[in-house]
Amino acid sequence: MSSTYAACAEHVRRLHSTARQLEVQSRLLQLPPLAGREWFELLERKLLPQMADDAFLVVAVVGGTNIGKSVIFNHLAGCRASATSPFASGTKHPVCLVPPGFAERHDLPSIFCGFDLHEWSRADAALEDHPEHRLFWRTSDATPSNLLILDTPDIDGDVRVNWERADNIRRCADVLVAVLTQQKYNDAAVKQFFRKAAEEDKAVLIVFNQVLIPDDETFWPIWLHTFCQETGVQPEFVYLAPSDRRAAEENRLPFYVGQVSNKPHETCSLKNDISALHFREIKLRTLRGSLRTVLNPESGFPAYLAEIERRSAEFKSASELLSTHQLAESNDWPPMPNSVVVQEVRLWWQQQREGWTKKVHNFYNAIGSGMLKPFSMLRNRWQGERTPPLEQYRQREWQTILDTVESVYERLRWFAELGNPLLQPRIEKLLGGRSRVELLELLKTRHDLTDLEHEIRDLVAIEMDGVRQDRPQTFQFMKWIDHGAAAVRPVTSVCLFVTGFGPAGHAVHQVAASTALQFAVDIAGGTVSAVAGESAISGAAATSAGFFEARFRRLHARFAAKRASWLARMLKEHLFGDLPDELQMATVVPQSETFQTVRETMGLLESNL
Amino acid sequence: MADSELAQLELFAEIDELVRRLRDFVEAESAWEPLGHCRAILRRLLGRVETLRIRLEAPLVVATFGGTGVGKSSLVNALVGRECTRTGRERPTTTLPVLITHPDTNLESLGLPLSEFEMVRIDSPILRDIVVVDCPDPDTSEGETAGSNLARLRKMLPHCDVLLFVSTQQKYRSARVSDELQQAAEGCRLLFVQTHADRDSDIREDWRRQLAEKYAVPDVFFVDSVRALQDQQVGRRPSGDFARLQDLLTSRIASSQRIQVRRANLLDLIHIAIAHCREHVAANLPAIEKLEAALETQRQRLHDAMTARLRDELVASQGLWERRLLTAVTERWGVSPFSSILRVYSGFGNLIASATLWRARSSVQMALIGVVQGTRWLSSKQQEREAESSLQRAASSLGLEDDLLRESQLVLSGFLRDAKLTTLSSNSKTVQELRQEAARVEGQFLGDAGQRIDGMVENVAKRRSGKLIRAWYETLLLSFIGFVLFRVLKSFFYDSMFAEDLRHDPYLSGAFYINAGVIFVLWSTLLVMMFTRRLHRGLQRQVDQLAADLARQRISAGLFPAWEEACRDIHLHSETLDVLAENARTVRERIATPVQFGAAR
Repeated sequence: MSSTYAACAEHVRRLHSTARQLEVQSRLLQLPPLAGREWFELLERKLLPQMADDAFLVVAVVGGTNIGKSVIFNHLAGCRASATSPFASGTKHPVCLVPPGFAERHDLPSIFCGFDLHEWSRADAALEDHPEHRLFWRTSDATPSNLLILDTPDIDGDVRVNWERADNIRRCADVLVAVLTQQKYNDAAVKQFFRKAAEEDKAVLIVFNQVLIPDDETFWPIWLHTFCQETGVQPEFVYLAPSDRRAAEENRLPFYVGQVSNKPHETCSLKNDISALHFREIKLRTLRGSLRTVLNPESGFPAYLAEIERRSAEFKSASELLSTHQLAESNDWPPMPNSVVVQEVRLWWQQQREGWTKKVHNFYNAIGSGMLKPFSMLRNRWQGERTPPLEQYRQREWQTILDTVESVYERLRWFAELGNPLLQPRIEKLLGGRSRVELLELLKTRHDLTDLEHEIRDLVAIEMDGVRQDRPQTFQFMKWIDHGAAAVRPVTSVCLFVTGFGPAGHAVHQVAASTALQFAVDIAGGTVSAVAGESAISGAAATSAGFFEARFRRLHARFAAKRASWLARMLKEHLFGDLPDELQMATVVPQSETFQTVRETMGLLESNL
Repeated sequence: MADSELAQLELFAEIDELVRRLRDFVEAESAWEPLGHCRAILRRLLGRVETLRIRLEAPLVVATFGGTGVGKSSLVNALVGRECTRTGRERPTTTLPVLITHPDTNLESLGLPLSEFEMVRIDSPILRDIVVVDCPDPDTSEGETAGSNLARLRKMLPHCDVLLFVSTQQKYRSARVSDELQQAAEGCRLLFVQTHADRDSDIREDWRRQLAEKYAVPDVFFVDSVRALQDQQVGRRPSGDFARLQDLLTSRIASSQRIQVRRANLLDLIHIAIAHCREHVAANLPAIEKLEAALETQRQRLHDAMTARLRDELVASQGLWERRLLTAVTERWGVSPFSSILRVYSGFGNLIASATLWRARSSVQMALIGVVQGTRWLSSKQQEREAESSLQRAASSLGLEDDLLRESQLVLSGFLRDAKLTTLSSNSKTVQELRQEAARVEGQFLGDAGQRIDGMVENVAKRRSGKLIRAWYETLLLSFIGFVLFRVLKSFFYDSMFAEDLRHDPYLSGAFYINAGVIFVLWSTLLVMMFTRRLHRGLQRQVDQLAADLARQRISAGLFPAWEEACRDIHLHSETLDVLAENARTVRERIATPVQFGAAR
């Protein structure tokens, strides 16, 4: 017996600590807190302290406001331990009578966890308003050993904190002395309170107070019947206390045994009956009752687990909806103008030139651009200053960013309207005007600050270095052509200029330089075919043209992907923040180890019930 | 007619007016959610007000209210003086509300749902001016399920004029009952009664303290209903608090007080409902203000973009300025030698310009050309634009690019969402529609800018062509013409007749005329150039000034006139609500409430 008991105590401890862990883990799921849940309060206030230390019974006098709880408590105490008042909601803090030596043998604060314990000094202390939950205790010789007797605040008054205190005492109690009157025995608040007590299998003693004897003789059995039927309470004893204010004030109120008979009522001692209760049986019963409530599949810990699972699943779908990898599609990204890419490739190629080839090309390029200058000035004058292609690209890219942002907001809007109501406040905040202004401003500044030229240069360098390593022959071949071109550069440049191709080509530059083949040709100085014989390069160029075409496409795709991922990163950092990660974390709670431990522990306890 | 009667009628008229305005308010439309909420509340209120008004003259409905077992039914029996409703020791005793009336009372006029009651008709003096309802309790039901006491009670409460709030030492601080009372007390007069005086202590002092926070409590009666009933049954007059209560209900609520009570209830109801609405609106108004600020910001952005572009183009179009100014000057000067010269030059310029004008690139240049000359061009441009709007308009002529428009819409729809103008935010515009709106805004802007440019041109022309300047240029021109004429006249009249040396041909040769012509052209060109230079001077500064003026100016409508309109509308409605509240308050203050009754604060 004791070994299973100890094992159970261990399980309960584990259950409690894992419940706390789970609460921390699942805080992102925004479930209502554990505190305030009946099963958890029982676990914490009843099972945890009393499983290990079960050699006492907690007896609590409970009931509505102003029906004489304190009078009955004083009767049990044998003295005016608790102050009485004609006004309602007098008792605001519980008062506990402790048998001599109990406080030394037991840890009172852990028995009444959540209460701030004070030693009793005067009867009025419990009437004073105080925001924290206090409990006044005093040692009383009149208290039977191994009994803690408590007076509690009311359960139906307009001071709601009193209810909370009474509930907490109810949870750790084993025996409840239910004080009822004809006015209150069928009140909703009273019924709700005792229904919970019945579910937790507390031993209940009913005292009908302020009974009119003999007028109410025929009524109290009906009251009792209604009360028991409504709440499910099965009382151990029933007592009647007559309506006698003076006797009550003088603490000499008689208690009659509540039995239906024609004989005059016999007085009895409430206290004796209580001390004659079967300690062990009642203790076991209430512990088991509480454990049953904790393990109840509909309202206990399993229901909490189910709640976690359900919400976690809801969050999972939300998490999928908001996943960031689909935010910005690189397919829709505008292509980088070829002229820019070609320019960058040319620059790269120039860096690869060595020795005299470099000198020759640089010399003629300088002369060429010098001679073309008037033409470009003329063009600018004629057609107006032209926006540089990179700036044009930047504008197009901004349009794409706007498209993406619009679609993201659209998706969020849809999500806010159909998605999880728990996430709605956060989503609404994202959708709000302030957030939009900030996001757009941030994106705009960051986008304007982005050095696109630098980006493309880096990419070109990486890609072209790749070419040099992958296809050394092609690279060598191109280089060889370049040498050749350098040798005849004076001739070709003059020819081109004289025939007018140079200036015209410059004017229509952007249109002309739009295909990859020309890019390949451009590398060789724009004059390859004129220099080397057609047949000499046709073989090599045919294969290398295809190769360059593919490389060129890849360059574009890479660049688009790079920019798209930049946008996705910006959106993730500045719009969503931690939300997707949090959602992701929230969805894995049911797979956690803690979750499994709880399941197992509950199974073990179930088998011990 | 007595003055008091007249005042009475006036008051009625004012209440009627208040109700009418409330009705108008309820019927107006608004896309704003909080206002919709208010309308729903006020609509319900109007229903209740209507029933109250219909039975303004009917007997008052006095109902008991209180927890089970506090002796509501006993009190009713004692008040009526006869056993008419069941009392008991089992809880709850009363489940169906009991309606106790005088046999002569016309029940139809009360507007009560009679099928919900148990009916008792008794000839008792207290029932001559009131009807009494014994209500079920609010505190035995755990929820408002159909057929529960709570449900029955809640159905009853809106029909009651006076609530007898009954309680005992045990129950006066019961949370359920006081929560329920808070709802029930809206639009009701209250009377507070502590029963069970035979057994319980007097807790009225504490009770009054508890009640004082929410209610006006003129009096609390402490009664023993059982004894009072017994007294009456043996023909004794009841005494103490009970007698006062019975007296209050029997004789004080005469027909005149009856109207006062109802009117006070009615105004209380209106006051509470409007106060609630105002609170709701006030809580949501900051979002609207933010939206307005955002609309203003966006409008300003558009305006700035347009102004900047306008400025650039004005500065760039030097040639147009010149011609415009020259035309203005020649118009001012009328016919004179120098102005004729200027006209000839500007005529040449216009000839060339007209060719370029027909393919003018921007509407800014159009504005520069001037309203009068440009009208024809503008109308043709308008047609062109209309044709274009269905197609793609390449880019705005005033810098309102698609990006700008889309950004505006994106930001504003966020603020719209914050402001709970969801019905408006869902119909965001397509890029095409945005462009059309932008064209409208630009049109307005340009119209305004064109007028300013005209004014500026006039101004500059006036300042740069003063009499002195004119005289100077005219003199310079005429001095040349004068010199040539002098030479011609001299050679004709003098040289030919009086010249001594006749070896020379006395007449001027053809070469002279050719030279004179050429020099005239050069001279006049020089003068014109000098003059236009003069006109040009400080033009840049003038344009900057113009741009700055335009930037300071607020534009009347932005891209989203519907949204702006909605904001204005909301403010208007919220102000109406304030006015209504003020009206209700003044009327409520003016009416005399019977002092014996308590009420919600």
